[in-house]
Amino acid sequence: MLILGIETATVQAGCAIGGHEGVLASAHSAKGKRHAENLTPAIAFICEQAQIELSEIGLVAVDIGPGLFTGLRVGVATAKAVAFALRVPMIGVSSLDLLAFPVRFTPRLIVAAIDARRNELYYALYRQVPGGVQRISEPTVGSADDLASELLALSEEVLLVGDGAHRYREAFDGLTKVEIVDQGNSFPSAASLVQLAHAQALREDFQQIDSIQPMYLRRPDAEINWATRDSAP
Amino acid sequence: MNSGRVQAGSSSPEQTRELAAAIAELARPCDLVLLVGDLGAGKTAFTQGFGRGLGVDDQITSPTFALVQSYTGRLDLYHLDVYRLEHMNEALDLGLSEMLDDESVTVIEWGDKITQALPRDYLEVSITFGQGEEDRLFELRPVGSRWQARMRALTVALSAWSISSEPVSGESVSGESATGEPPC
Repeated sequence: MLILGIETATVQAGCAIGGHEGVLASAHSAKGKRHAENLTPAIAFICEQAQIELSEIGLVAVDIGPGLFTGLRVGVATAKAVAFALRVPMIGVSSLDLLAFPVRFTPRLIVAAIDARRNELYYALYRQVPGGVQRISEPTVGSADDLASELLALSEEVLLVGDGAHRYREAFDGLTKVEIVDQGNSFPSAASLVQLAHAQALREDFQQIDSIQPMYLRRPDAEINWATRDSAP
Repeated sequence: MNSGRVQAGSSSPEQTRELAAAIAELARPCDLVLLVGDLGAGKTAFTQGFGRGLGVDDQITSPTFALVQSYTGRLDLYHLDVYRLEHMNEALDLGLSEMLDDESVTVIEWGDKITQALPRDYLEVSITFGQGEEDRLFELRPVGSRWQARMRALTVALSAWSISSEPVSGESVSGESATGEPPC
């Protein structure tokens, strides 16, 4: 089964095609937050490069975040549109899982951290397991200092990966047991998405289009006080 | 303590636009401006002028239905209207954190309703109706250091539309002497 993977959770927008043979083609760009403009031409490009007609796609995988709200909306809407048109199932994968997966060959604790803007991070903790990684904490939103305190308290060797780790690296400066993974692996990749979705597809662990939703991690909500508006004539 | 408020008056939508453009001349990347005022007070007219001051060439229209509109200028502008929202998180769902972290200027109509979801660093512009049908009164209130440091400059910029203004306190003078751009 051929899988189209779509990934737009960070400033990078990416897509990949692959299946049991691995990844056949992929494209990523991380310049200028042009997700909406770049994504569909990139899909057309990788189809051409892999010599595949879009109609041959049997599954659409999408990064459901957490991540940039504007990027996620473009990626999830595009993935749903393709799946709907082709009448194929979908698989949603967390951006944090995608960050942790490529750096899985380590006995260290893996912490995936995506830039949530304005000094905040989306993050989760992972451990290596045979064939991949296992998430051992719920995805959380918190400040870089919150995460640094958490890691200090754990007092464990940590591999920290993601654009959030780079942007707020000063927060982790004093932590001798924490190593930050290089820039080259700091965005979730569509290639990892295809790999993870393929493993999940073998278990026939599909999702319906309607059940795919972006993962918006937020703080507790409050209602807006509209006394003025609602009393208006 | 607020270091001074600035008041100004306008007697037509075009004057409102000119006044807003004068304020926009002082805008910096990552600034946040909240517009407070009843329906028809001139929040959109204000934003049109503000956009003109930022060097936006495109026509600025009310974002009530689109919720967010973005424009390219000397500084890029995000124009939001939260009037149709019911929860704070809906404002965050629009990507508010990304807009405020984007070297752009963000203007939010009815922004006073969602201050819980906003950084405490913004300029609040309250618009009220004056005597004549087209008369409007403006009160500019800085919250946080970014705009407090510019209150003296704002007073000067708006002197042509001045009604009266409280004296600018010493606190803002020291703020004004601070060098460099405020971080986002």
